[in-house]
Order: sequence, then C-alpha cells, then structure tokens
Amino acid sequence: MPMYELGVILDPEASPEDEAGALERLEKVITDAGGQVVNKDAWGRRQLAYPIKKRSFGIYHFWRFDVTGQILRELNFELRTNDLFLRHLTLNLDRELRRHRKGERVQQELAAKKAAKIEAAAMAADEEQ
Amino acid sequence: MRQGKRKFRRRAKVCRFTVEKINYIDYKDVDLLREYTPTNGKILPRRVTGTRPAFQHKLTRAIKRARHMALLPYVGE
Repeated sequence: MPMYELGVILDPEASPEDEAGALERLEKVITDAGGQVVNKDAWGRRQLAYPIKKRSFGIYHFWRFDVTGQILRELNFELRTNDLFLRHLTLNLDRELRRHRKGERVQQELAAKKAAKIEAAAMAADEEQ
Repeated sequence: MRQGKRKFRRRAKVCRFTVEKINYIDYKDVDLLREYTPTNGKILPRRVTGTRPAFQHKLTRAIKRARHMALLPYVGE
C-alpha cells in the first residue's frame, strides 16, 4: 500500500466538535479500508495567503497514511462534499520520494566517482615519486 | 583602469539545493519557498537564483502546491 500525504484546511468558524467529527469521519474512511494513519500534524489556526470562501483563516491538518489507491475516491468524495473542508491536497508520497531517492542515488554515484578520481590521482602521484 | 569606470565582479550564484543536498522540496516548508517568491508572489527564475534545472522544476511544483493550500499567495502586493 502506498503512503499518502493529505493536507486539509478546515473552516475556522466550525465548532471544535464539528471539526473533530469531520476528521474522525475521514479517519474512519481510512481505517475501514484497512489503512492506518501513521502521522498526524496539526498546525492549528493559521492565516490564509488569500481568502477562501470569504474566510481569511483556516485550520490546517496534515496526515500521512497507508491505504490502497481505490479508497482515495471515497476520501475525495468526503472531502469535496463536506463544507467544513475549505481545501485539500493528497499526494502519493511514494511517488514523490521515488524521485527523491533517485536524486540521492545520483548524488551518491557522483560522490563515489569523485572519490575514485581523487584516489586515482593520489595513486598516480605516488607512482611518480 | 580608466577613471570613473569601476569594475564590479558579480558574486557567483550557487544552487542552494545542490549545496545543502535538499532532494525533496516540501510544499509545507513555507520559509524556504518564500525565499524564491518575492512579495509580488512570482516565482524567481533560475537565471536570478542560480538554481539547477532539476531543482527549479521541483521548486515550482512545491510553490504551486503551496499556493493551492493558501500557504503562499497567487498574487502579492
């Protein structure tokens, strides 16, 4: 199951119970499908860079979770139909980090090449002496 | 050197992501992204910042995601 990262902005005028309820429903969609929320990061109230639905503040939540891809449709439906969610963004972290790992590998290869070059130069210098 | 004409040497531009080995640019890292968006909200071109093409691509993606999540403005002052 791939790892996903979800970011949501909740309506700041929602009552704390409504907020908790909406998040619980989201989590239920994930856990019912056999997934689990690995990491929860709540940024809390934060000023928006521009108004959304005439709100200038938003409550930010970022989650990381494992689910199968089909569940995203249900999750998106929940996010789109519930008015408490001002915005949401789901990323496939595996896909994002695959590029990251590739970049890391390239860097490691470069470093290895550089080290080999330096070593070769040192060997050559030794031979000259 | 002729009088009244001074030579300036421009500081070499370096790609921050190459130097610091940041491989994944997270859209939540607003402070980092802000350095590449002046107050008018535009994305600085790599000809200005010296960012390597591969990182410029990642940077633009991250900035656009941050804009969607209202962490950065689409238009500034």
